[in-house]
Amino acid sequence: MMNGLIQAFWAPLTETYFQKALIGGCAVALVSGVVGCLVVLRRMAFLGDALSHAMIAGVAGGYLVMKLLFGIEAHAPSMLLGSLIAAVLTVALIGLVSRVSRVKEDTAIGIMYTGVFALGVVVVSIFRQYIHIDLMHFIMGDILGVADADLWVSVLVSALVLSVLVLFFRHFQLASFDPVMAASTGLPVLLLDYALTSCVSLVVVSAVSMVGVILVVGLLITPAATAYLLSDRLDRMMALAALFGVTSVIGGLYLCVWLDSAGGGAVMLFCTLQFLVVLVLAPRYGILARWLRLRRLVPQQVIEDVLITVLRQKKDTPLQVLQQFVQAPQHAMLPKALRQMEQEGLIGTAPDGYRLTEAGEKEAGQVLRAHRLWESYLASIGTPPEAVHQTAHRLEHIRANGTVDYLDEKLGKPQVDPHGQKIPPRQRNNHFNEP
Amino acid sequence: MDIKKVPAIEVRHLTVSYGARPALLDVSVTIEQDQLVGVIGPNGSGKSTFIKAILGFEKPDVGQILIGGEDVQNAKGKVAYVPQRGAVDWDFPITVKEVALMGRYQRIPWYRNASAADREAAMEALSMVRMTDFADRQIGQLSGGQQQRVFLARALAQGSDILLLDEPFAGVDAATERAILDVLERAKSAGKTLVVVHHDLTTAAEYFDNLILLKQRLYAYGPPSAVLHEELLSQVYEGRLRVFANLMAKEGAR
Repeated sequence: MMNGLIQAFWAPLTETYFQKALIGGCAVALVSGVVGCLVVLRRMAFLGDALSHAMIAGVAGGYLVMKLLFGIEAHAPSMLLGSLIAAVLTVALIGLVSRVSRVKEDTAIGIMYTGVFALGVVVVSIFRQYIHIDLMHFIMGDILGVADADLWVSVLVSALVLSVLVLFFRHFQLASFDPVMAASTGLPVLLLDYALTSCVSLVVVSAVSMVGVILVVGLLITPAATAYLLSDRLDRMMALAALFGVTSVIGGLYLCVWLDSAGGGAVMLFCTLQFLVVLVLAPRYGILARWLRLRRLVPQQVIEDVLITVLRQKKDTPLQVLQQFVQAPQHAMLPKALRQMEQEGLIGTAPDGYRLTEAGEKEAGQVLRAHRLWESYLASIGTPPEAVHQTAHRLEHIRANGTVDYLDEKLGKPQVDPHGQKIPPRQRNNHFNEP
Repeated sequence: MDIKKVPAIEVRHLTVSYGARPALLDVSVTIEQDQLVGVIGPNGSGKSTFIKAILGFEKPDVGQILIGGEDVQNAKGKVAYVPQRGAVDWDFPITVKEVALMGRYQRIPWYRNASAADREAAMEALSMVRMTDFADRQIGQLSGGQQQRVFLARALAQGSDILLLDEPFAGVDAATERAILDVLERAKSAGKTLVVVHHDLTTAAEYFDNLILLKQRLYAYGPPSAVLHEELLSQVYEGRLRVFANLMAKEGAR
């Protein structure tokens, strides 16, 4: 059994085609993950799709030029160069259309890339006796049949793009986050835009031969989006995206060998599954975490009741007393509220129960102030004295947007409430209203 | 004033348009040093465009902008900027500390990493706005006022003598508004020139030394008492005049 398992992992590694796929795939996926972060953050995903389609015209162009002028068949570097030119040209056309006309950018992208893609398809079919490009290969990719030339190109391109991104990390970060500030400090924002687009094109071009035109966008954005759910810093997001890119290639390749399926499809399928798992499980931005957070939510009213009960007791308050005075909608709510308040530093535990911290005391004072002002108000509008306290106890939680200060103002800033008790003064910077 | 100081910002015949629609038409303003200047005007009156032009981000169709006597295109990095809250992607994976550090980027050569001194300066800027406790938070996890203060810290870390702020008081509560204003006044007394886009006419007179009233054209520029008068405001704000008529009455009573 154990042997069989090891065999299942080891056997493919001894095959040359698998090794090549692994090396080329990992190199490309690693860099596309890193570039993908910027693509995701700048909302350029659609542009990535456009670039991958536009490059067919460039590939055909490069092929044709080398074939007709020099008689060289399928010259990889010139096809790469051709795709790059086509990609940059497409981007320039998109920019031009959206700048000079009222057509918005997403529409401009849609128009230009389908146009350039169509041009490529037409050229390839017209010159089919000269150009031996398999359109199907172009669209689906063939990660298990990577040629040595393609492998070299991918590895070199990956190294180049990665170096550019690492060297100019700060510049890309600033230009993506706040282009206005970037420009105001003299960063060449437009140049950086074009540099990024070129990087994306390079990565896309070298990835197309492996996973194909349709799936290459997924390799660009899915690992980056996965990482986005897990990190709050761009450098970490990039590192994670690179990792997820590599794991999807490795996982996908095994999947493809074991299931005997299409290579590109298996890689992207694994990549997507990875995303879905993270989407559910991510500690902060995941679905599960969100659900737990909502469940843990404690009503403000319970917290305020605890504060005011402890304040009124004027000594450490045991749990039994709190249970008596605090109205919690559910039985389990009170311990949950107490735990949360302890974490937030509003209360602390003492030998005989709970006591208020300094911040808690401040906050409790504000609740008390609201309570007594509401009492004064109720008394002033003729509420029967026996109902004043109970009603005020419910109203004291209404404190948002300066309600309490408004009451204070309207009542002429009273010093004491109807029972003759002192109304605490207003305090800035109390815990819950901290800006 | 014995020696004539070079004005901090000099805008001459500034005209900017988006397509066929003019955003600013022939605006000329000279802002002296050490001033707290408010830019007011109705929505879509070109206030943000005005700020972006001074930053050198919007290229003028006609006109010239001088920063400390130098053309704006040659004065990169001399003007710091606090963006409008709506203009920032609050989900961007970046921490408070990193945003403040961005203020130092213009001083770091491209081949070097941020040094310890840079990080220290960023933290110092954060402490000026009392945000050091939040240094490692992602910016989306802050309240509106805290977010505003972080960007203020970034602008301070730039060390520029001119600060431009786009609606720093929008969507913050009264206490935070006060806190931000405190920082602005401290910056002013440290010799900085501040230009602030502001939407609340009721506080404009109280906060600023001078006001710029914009609506595509420059309608008025001068001390609040000269700018905030009814005739002018009714011209600029049109249908919403009644609100301001009340306000004027209040101002008069003061």
